Amino acid sequence: MTMETAAAPRRARPFALPMALVRPVVSLGLLFGLWEIAARTGTISAFLFPPPTAILASLWVSAGPNGDPPFGTLLDIALSLYRLLAGVGLALVLGSLIGLAIGLTRWGRAIFKPIISAIMPIPTLAWTPILLLVFGIDNRTTITVVFIAASFEIIYNVVTGIEMMTRKTYWVAASMGASRIQTLRYVIVPGILPYLITGLKLGVGYAWRALIAAEMLAASSHGLGFMIYDAQEYMDMKSIYGGILTISVLGLLIERGVVGALEKRTIEKWGVNVER
Amino acid sequence: MSNVENILAHPVRETVVPAPRPKITAEGAGVRFGSVTAVEDFTTTIREREFVSIIGPSGCGKSTMLYAIAGFLKTTSGVLKVDGEPIVKPGPNRGIVFQEFVLFPWRTVLRNITLGPEIAGLPRAEAEERARKWIRLTGLGGFEDAYPATLSGGMKQRVAIARALTCEPDILLLDEPFGALDVQTKNYVMKDLQDLWIAASKTILMVTHSVQEATLMADRVLILGARPSRIVADVKIDLPHPRDPADPRLGQYRQEVTAILSAEVDRSMKIERSR
Repeated sequence: MTMETAAAPRRARPFALPMALVRPVVSLGLLFGLWEIAARTGTISAFLFPPPTAILASLWVSAGPNGDPPFGTLLDIALSLYRLLAGVGLALVLGSLIGLAIGLTRWGRAIFKPIISAIMPIPTLAWTPILLLVFGIDNRTTITVVFIAASFEIIYNVVTGIEMMTRKTYWVAASMGASRIQTLRYVIVPGILPYLITGLKLGVGYAWRALIAAEMLAASSHGLGFMIYDAQEYMDMKSIYGGILTISVLGLLIERGVVGALEKRTIEKWGVNVER
Repeated sequence: MSNVENILAHPVRETVVPAPRPKITAEGAGVRFGSVTAVEDFTTTIREREFVSIIGPSGCGKSTMLYAIAGFLKTTSGVLKVDGEPIVKPGPNRGIVFQEFVLFPWRTVLRNITLGPEIAGLPRAEAEERARKWIRLTGLGGFEDAYPATLSGGMKQRVAIARALTCEPDILLLDEPFGALDVQTKNYVMKDLQDLWIAASKTILMVTHSVQEATLMADRVLILGARPSRIVADVKIDLPHPRDPADPRLGQYRQEVTAILSAEVDRSMKIERSR
């Protein structure tokens, strides 16, 4: 009997919700539900921990035409995303090139490896005071912070991708008569792509966190980090939580949505495992 | 032109089968890695369209010799030539198939196979046309758009073979091509490879550690000795192709090769133990 049950295929319930969606909704719903009740009943301070519905309402207003300034939160989001995109884009280009130089050339290893080993242990934010003096309160400061934060994972993963390639892979290309440039184009670049995407995923995560922190220190106006920092000055707790919520949702969207889509089109489609 | 003159000017050649030209010649070829000699004094001639198998105890340097002929490794002594020219680097006239397939996971079956012609600068349509022929002959039809990760070992090896043949090499170098396949699959791919060899008229050099594979497929079996290895025997398998694995004459050849090989394995084990 038990054997029979085990072997029988599970009957698909026509209206079953995908469990992958149900679980996070239940767990987050529980957290926010309890918070809402606790704040409304006065169990916790409604000033320090405003109820989630009030946070959402405040976010709705500040993102709309009646915000101060109008559409202020949308502007914050746009500026933060712009800085992230510019910095990560820069890191993607330069990081890949440096990674290729380290992975493929002796001079690249000799020049870049010691420099990177020396810089890597430094928290990205430690650069902010210097950048502020160099660039002033300017987008360039935050973009550079993002660039530094995203670069290391990209470089490291590109180098790993090259190291994972066996000599036989190069031999196959060589026996087809591939030149150095053709080997780069047909073998090395597509071969490291899954690693580059893994590096990008991790790099974007670090960069997003670094950006928010840098915006608190270095942005004269706007950006989600600045939004939170500024709200603290006015003890506007709802805006602080609204900013944090936005950061969380956007971070999730970027990591799962953008990078996840890239992964689906490459790593998953090819059935490649990325070893780190 | 009189009849006699005509005969003199065009001597009858049809009755004389010319001996196939030497394709690969090795004279005292050897490969040394630092102080370790992998192969030494490798001397043989492999003729056009010949199927030669190199067999020997594991670690005897048989793959090393194959890689040297492919141009992946440099010989440290002796001479190694293809078509009378010393081997300096890999080239499309020598196709390679590895035990581990070494397919490009980001390319579909078709794109793996067209890579050679693409690198040679052929337009995509022409590359595909060339690939289709080998896809058909290797039984890969219907799998053109599959990614390698979704294929079984036997299919992957077929892709690797088709990919090598699409470059239209004169010589096919096989490095333990059945090593990663299960017995059933192996028998199929072996049978197909024999047919391909007969149809494609290539020179094939196959490294293996299986007496059965070597005797079934090759015209000649070169037996390498224990390290530092050299050729200890050159056994001609004088049977027509394609061969039946159940042929009793094949059994005799198997015994002969096994006897020589066992003696070499014993010797290599003794060397290893005495270290």
